[in-house]
Amino acid sequence: MKTIRNLKGPALVLSLLTCLWVIVILMLALLKPSAFSLSTTTTILQFSTILALVSLGQAIVILAGGAGIDLSVGGNVSLSAILGMLALKAGLPPSLLPIACIAIGALLGAANGLLVTRLAILPLIATLGTLFVYSGVAVAITGGAALSGVPAWLLVWGRGVVAGVPVPFLTLAVPAFIVAGIILTWTSWGRWVFAMGFNERSARLVGIPVDRARLLLYAISGALAGAAALISIAWLGSARPNIGQNLELESLTAAMLGGIAISGGLGGVGGVMAAVILLVTLKTGLLQLNVNTIWQVGIVGALLLLVLLAERLSQRWR
Amino acid sequence: MRQSRTALHALNGREWSLLAACAVTILLFSVASPYFATSGNAGTILRNSIELLLAGLGMTLLLAMGGIDVSIGIVMGLAAIGVGNALGLQMNPVLTALIGPAIGAALGFITATVVVLGRVPAIVGTLGLLGVYRTAIFVLLGGQWLSGLPTGLTNLLSVSPLGIPFAAWAIAAVYLAVWMALRRAPYGVHLLAIGNSEEKARLSGIAVVKVRIVTFVISGALTGLAATFYVANYRNVEMTIGSSLSLDAIAAVVLGGTSIMGGRCSLIGTVLGVLLLRILQNGLLLVGVPSLWQPVVTGGLLIGVLAFESLANRISIANAGWMRR
Repeated sequence: MKTIRNLKGPALVLSLLTCLWVIVILMLALLKPSAFSLSTTTTILQFSTILALVSLGQAIVILAGGAGIDLSVGGNVSLSAILGMLALKAGLPPSLLPIACIAIGALLGAANGLLVTRLAILPLIATLGTLFVYSGVAVAITGGAALSGVPAWLLVWGRGVVAGVPVPFLTLAVPAFIVAGIILTWTSWGRWVFAMGFNERSARLVGIPVDRARLLLYAISGALAGAAALISIAWLGSARPNIGQNLELESLTAAMLGGIAISGGLGGVGGVMAAVILLVTLKTGLLQLNVNTIWQVGIVGALLLLVLLAERLSQRWR
Repeated sequence: MRQSRTALHALNGREWSLLAACAVTILLFSVASPYFATSGNAGTILRNSIELLLAGLGMTLLLAMGGIDVSIGIVMGLAAIGVGNALGLQMNPVLTALIGPAIGAALGFITATVVVLGRVPAIVGTLGLLGVYRTAIFVLLGGQWLSGLPTGLTNLLSVSPLGIPFAAWAIAAVYLAVWMALRRAPYGVHLLAIGNSEEKARLSGIAVVKVRIVTFVISGALTGLAATFYVANYRNVEMTIGSSLSLDAIAAVVLGGTSIMGGRCSLIGTVLGVLLLRILQNGLLLVGVPSLWQPVVTGGLLIGVLAFESLANRISIANAGWMRR
């Protein structure tokens, strides 16, 4: 017990998440032993890739404080996927599709950033509005139907598996987390993000360009959503207008579980990745046990509430 | 002379411009669609506004307090399931009508427990509850609609004392009650003080926790009342019930001039905001815009209004600076 008390910050978050993950795995092992196979691992990582990228964006926006939150991530993923495929149909060279998806995502994210920084609209209201605009446009211009016609080479990348690990996970999610971790921990730019989140007033006073940095963070969150959209296209073989449904809830839960403080300034990206894998393992486990998928949203919501309430209680004990 | 002056001053600039916007919208749609300016369609618009007027009143109080609740649509759904089941059991209609607000108030108390007592930011807390409640609705309905409900409640609520529908009386009554609470009781001062600065309100001795809990419960009860009218009007409860209510309510209330930062609210503004939103949605449908575009229009309107306010604010500050020089 004493060793747990001595753990702090990221180490505590990671060990708690590992404990939870082991519990989930053990429960699954008891209830359905046949679920354990290399293909299950691959499925879990495959599903994790999209959520991991989106949660990373969500995490850095929250980290930077100023009541930062990006509720539009789900709508952004849907709309980036749809617009990317529409651009392809309109004559965009297929080799540019990956860049197009990410650029569209970044632009949609930058729009959020402009609303928040230039127009000083509360992030929760601004991104709630854009969530409905983005997801609404994605559904309305396609009439709700999926767009097919993904180039074959993209499917090879999106569905490829190396030693049980999906290629998109290796080539996009892992590098994104490593780069984000390095920037946040070892560069002054990364320390700015923590400084802004911890105390925005003093960050401004020491000369950190808070507004410009925040605008960039929303754009990066958008670009990560665009990358998630690209993966959804490459994996599923079509752009689906509802692919981003519930991602705002799931990414928030992953960020909170991963130890990002909702008020900003505290946390790291390692915990977020661990939380994503925990969440997706839980969801996949439920799927293996033939639990209706509608239970997933409820369980994720309950987890979000539990994490936040537990955080408050632990503060009281200290 | 005096009379006209007081009439003019009853509304502020925002409310006059909303009234003008309603008039212009009505005029434009009347020209664009022959089906718009009919008494039947006016009835449709007003009937469709009932739930939003009630839920919007609760949202006005929440936003004025610096809070928010994105789960009210689903709360209306849960309350509607309660009312629908009570109807199916052939309970006393008056009791059935009261079940809606009772469930709504109970759910409002749960929200308050999480947000106020648990000190979780309102947006994150209510988003989590939204997820939980969506599963709850699915489990309660078992994947099927409640449909073809008995007419007991419909008959009770379709009376028209003095030729005015009961729904209008009920809405007028709750608006009057809330207005009295805001203007004639300490509650209003406390609510707006909390919206301005929770810390200062606490330091000046306001029972912040109590006022916040009460407001969430009131908002829940109003949303539950909306569920009663919903079931009475449509006599069914579908899986997707209330899915657009939260966004509609936030957009209408912000349109009405209530500040999202808290500390300022306008009940007349909310009424006008609701009507303008419903007129727009109805008119766009009639001129042939598919209903799939509705969330885009509502979300765009919300952001547009806030962006306009922010720009107007900046220009007036710039002008003031220029005057000082």
